[in-house]
Amino acid sequence: MSENELNFDDKLMSMLHIIANEGINNAARGFSGLLGEKLTVNNPGVRMVELKEIPHILGGPENEAIGVYLRAEGDISGQIMLVIPYDKALELVDLLIGNPPNTTQELGSFERSALAEVGNQTGTFFINSLSSLTGLDVRPSPPAVMVDMVGAILDIIVATTGGVSEHVLLMEANFELGNRKVETNFWVIPDEKTLNAIRFGAS
Amino acid sequence: MRDPISVGLGERVVSRDPEDVLVAYGLGSCLGIGMIDPVSRVCGLLHAVLPAKNNGTDPFNPKFVDSGINGLIEEMIKNGAMRNRLVIRMAGGANMLTAPGLSKTFDIGARNIESAHDVFQSLRMTLKSEDVGGTRGRTVRLYVGIGRMTVRVIGEKEVDL
Repeated sequence: MSENELNFDDKLMSMLHIIANEGINNAARGFSGLLGEKLTVNNPGVRMVELKEIPHILGGPENEAIGVYLRAEGDISGQIMLVIPYDKALELVDLLIGNPPNTTQELGSFERSALAEVGNQTGTFFINSLSSLTGLDVRPSPPAVMVDMVGAILDIIVATTGGVSEHVLLMEANFELGNRKVETNFWVIPDEKTLNAIRFGAS
Repeated sequence: MRDPISVGLGERVVSRDPEDVLVAYGLGSCLGIGMIDPVSRVCGLLHAVLPAKNNGTDPFNPKFVDSGINGLIEEMIKNGAMRNRLVIRMAGGANMLTAPGLSKTFDIGARNIESAHDVFQSLRMTLKSEDVGGTRGRTVRLYVGIGRMTVRVIGEKEVDL
């Protein structure tokens, strides 16, 4: 992948916002179906951040977090990573399983697979929106889940993009159930070809 | 106590201030390479991201393992260290993606370790200790005053490297 700065203009950002919203709304419908309760997921923003900014957003590079990683494959390619700080991941598990707050104290294999499903659903719906908008064939890979330091999780993106000054798209997704709310972050790392497809698919 | 000096992605820091602590936080596939000259008390830490530099880039670029090692040695010497006294320790190079089908393509960690071993061999320098590979992230610290280097993984204590 090139180290050139990608060209994120306003039009592209607004297209990405539309794709993110549609993907996240679809994911929310999927979760509500699973839960039997009305879970809403909203997307307050899409913005471009520098890779090196991400550890600060997530509480520092040594902070413990959970990452769910997916690749988009097919006509276009890209990477999607859902990252949630450890304490928020516990809250999200409680919310998804329908437990009272502070029930979950650690992430065992069951909790991890629940979070993998969150990443899987949200990532898949994002990829599906992208596919239907551009008419291209794009498929998600199975999700990989890791629990580790933020910096170490971030290395996956740094190593595969080959750069340290790269920018990624950061999408926020807030999960809400009644008056409970958990804020999460997604990073989407599309390649240039993908961005062009979005830009031209939209015009 | 003074705040530790963070050595970020693709950076190197060399210090001779005994109060300094150099830290590379959350190394995944990246490598943290520390050099200590026990006589002049000069210490340096490199946080390298990728195995090998491209042609034409800075021969001392700290982003890459090969150029990063050369750059660190160079700066250590500039600060008064002697090459033949350098104690070298290394940690990192984990494979963070262990899902089937994904890990092979992305095992940058293993390639980083291999690159470092090749470079040290061609320079005829030996590693005093290493804690590399595996699937877990690490934080490394280098205490300049006592020339001590440590490594820590999530949920465990800081141990000497």
